[in-house]
Amino acid sequence: MLQYAFQRVLLALAIVFVAISALFTIMITLPGDPTTVLLGPRATPELRAAFRANMGLDDPVLVQIANFWGRVLTGDLGMDYNRNRPVAEAVFSALPHTMALVFGAIFWSASLGILLGAFSADNRNSWLDRVTGVISVGFIAAPSFVVALYSLLLFSVTLRWFPTIGAGEPGDILSRLYHLALPSFAIGLAWVGYVARIVRASMLETLGENYIRTARAFGLPRRTVIYGYALRLAILPAVQVLGVGIGGMLSSAVFAEIVFSRPGLGSLIYDSVSGRNYPVVMGSMLVAIGFFVTCALIADLVNAALDPRHRVKS
Amino acid sequence: MTKTRPSAPFSNVTRRQLMAGAAALSVGAMIPVAAWADGSRLNVRAYLEPDDYDPLDASGFLEELLYGCIYRKLIQYVPGEEWDWQLDLAESIEQTSPTTIEFRLKEGQMWSDGYGEITAEDVKFSMDRHMVEENNSRIKPDLGSFTHVEVTGTYSGIIHLDRPFAPLWTIALPYLAGTVICKEAVEAAGGKITTAVPPAVSGPYRVVEHRLGERWVLERNPEFSGTPADFERVDLIVVVDDSAAEIAKDAGDVDFTSIGAGSVQRLRDNPPAGSRMTVHPALFYHWVGLNVQHPKFEDERVRQAIMHAIDVPSIMQAAFFDVAEPSTGIIAPGLIGHRPETLIPPQADFARARELLDEAGIDRLEINIDVLNNVTHTTAAQVMQAMMAQAGIDLNISVHESGSFWSLGVAADGDRWQDLELTIKRFSMTPDPYYATAWFVSDQIGDWNWEQFSSEEFDRLHDEALSETDPDLRDEMYRRMQDLMEESGGYRFLTHGVTANLFADSIAPATRPDGLPLVQFFRRA
Repeated sequence: MLQYAFQRVLLALAIVFVAISALFTIMITLPGDPTTVLLGPRATPELRAAFRANMGLDDPVLVQIANFWGRVLTGDLGMDYNRNRPVAEAVFSALPHTMALVFGAIFWSASLGILLGAFSADNRNSWLDRVTGVISVGFIAAPSFVVALYSLLLFSVTLRWFPTIGAGEPGDILSRLYHLALPSFAIGLAWVGYVARIVRASMLETLGENYIRTARAFGLPRRTVIYGYALRLAILPAVQVLGVGIGGMLSSAVFAEIVFSRPGLGSLIYDSVSGRNYPVVMGSMLVAIGFFVTCALIADLVNAALDPRHRVKS
Repeated sequence: MTKTRPSAPFSNVTRRQLMAGAAALSVGAMIPVAAWADGSRLNVRAYLEPDDYDPLDASGFLEELLYGCIYRKLIQYVPGEEWDWQLDLAESIEQTSPTTIEFRLKEGQMWSDGYGEITAEDVKFSMDRHMVEENNSRIKPDLGSFTHVEVTGTYSGIIHLDRPFAPLWTIALPYLAGTVICKEAVEAAGGKITTAVPPAVSGPYRVVEHRLGERWVLERNPEFSGTPADFERVDLIVVVDDSAAEIAKDAGDVDFTSIGAGSVQRLRDNPPAGSRMTVHPALFYHWVGLNVQHPKFEDERVRQAIMHAIDVPSIMQAAFFDVAEPSTGIIAPGLIGHRPETLIPPQADFARARELLDEAGIDRLEINIDVLNNVTHTTAAQVMQAMMAQAGIDLNISVHESGSFWSLGVAADGDRWQDLELTIKRFSMTPDPYYATAWFVSDQIGDWNWEQFSSEEFDRLHDEALSETDPDLRDEMYRRMQDLMEESGGYRFLTHGVTANLFADSIAPATRPDGLPLVQFFRRA
């Protein structure tokens, strides 16, 4: 297991390195001087030159990439010269909001999706199974930004149950949860459908296994067999998909953070890309990719821990 | 008579009822109580996050939105329909010669946090620091020919220019560059304001908290020397998307927001309960630019044919939702230099365009237009494409993201600037005509003058108008400059656009004539 974990960590680091270096190269070689967009027309040539020098834009691309990684290895994400603050300050103040959003969405969507999937498999081909199937596919088909806008209109404007904007009062956990409810609902809804379909299919396969038949033959209660034994194995594919799905959720988070005017990595990346604020783009992308790769890694390790066949195969 | 033993309170409540009640209370507790329901809290939308508290780093109106609340100036814009200024920190201010302006401060105007009285030394410090090269001030150009402030007494001083500079009164003193900060506090902070909250403020509000990427929380400044603010707390909330801001206003989470032009007609027809909407002519200017140096457009008749083939009213209808008026130039109504009409009417004249192309010996003309990837400009280009075909002009549209687009005409970014043909652009503007014409002088070719328009008369007038203090003469000069632009065949002016604001009827907002909010003057209705 230790060797497997070590291999996975190495692979994760390689992915982060390649992804960020490629992104850096693409960004730097795009046509246009970022200081033109960043500083606007009023900037004097001297000011633009000072910005270029500060941001290291006059160095060759390879030197810029090497400098970037050199700084990262010392824990420095660079400086946001547009706002005169360290990039790390902006990124790490945004990260908890995005993590709360993504994990909030995963928590509720996985809980409901697993239950729906298990329920469908348990009641295979019943009308309840068919209704659950239609609902699941409907959820999958609904784009998160459409869900976000309509849930805002329904729950915030019409019913006035939830706030439309913001992340809640700092230090007030209830206020934070209250502001998190609608955005996490919006980006999690599609995942209810995904998880339900995956768990259902996996459960049906598992229910046909010999050890389940044996358990039944020994007279174990039906609920214990299904929810105690079969589900434990049936959720493995869902865990794997959720781990990789974090990337998709990060993309949805961009929409959710803009629509719900929440701070977070998504809105930070959006703002910095539009404004060509390279140091912030790189810092936030590094953390976002790192976050994604870590989640995928954890999903792999959890899978390996739950199912030894997985690590043996790997 | 039998007496029954009084039952204990809630003794008839079952365990289930108790749990249900507790759950209901918990849910109730999760819904924040409207602590500011008495109207003492104001939520104003900011479409992006202001950069920081230091005027050296200010780049535009977003910073002014914040600075207006926490800092003061010698003079400020008067809220309303006409561009004018009023005294703020200054008790008197007067142009005593073409290159000197004398001011005297009101006495007893205080800094917060024990930094004492506001003096002429603070004014000198605040303005002079923009001229120091190492400070990299982004708004130094707004100060034009300003050289320094001479302190003549505790409350008095003289602003020195090295030559007359009329825009000082319109875009320097009442705007970002005129912001007065506390010398003692800023020097103690190392010469730059980089603290989490500003060390000293003088405006009606002070900063309590900055939640990165979300909002600035301000509260009433008890040490403000003017009329106390009406609101206990003001939140400047970052809402990037117009639709999200409109929804937030509908839900009561925002009290004042600008809205997209696309919503104006709908809200006029169905105004939301408890809300009001105002529509103001904006200062921006949108135009179709044509590179007059491109070999395709060497013949002036070809340039004029293209101008005649652009139907501005159709663009207004499709891209600006019929709420904006066609513009007559780059200078908006209400400003010195605004022209009453264009030389070529806004309506297209396809027959005339065809006639000019025939005269130039062109049967079919294929041209390219580059636009930014926003809905307004791509729609405008599509309208042009459809309409120009009637005159025998085939228009190819290239859409770019902002970084790529804004480098198209820049010589330092490659050779693309020479191959440019048509572009649609929008420039922001301040309430002085000099700010509009500055981008079209010959020196700006290869930088912001993408039309490569070059006119000795234009350059000379631009230079002279900067120093001209007679408003009538300035007006005439700027009108002539726009005539020259249009005569070149390089410009088809589209519109200044509108600023539409939606706000709760419980507040009395104050805005500049172009609709941008002056939050420091907001009152309860």
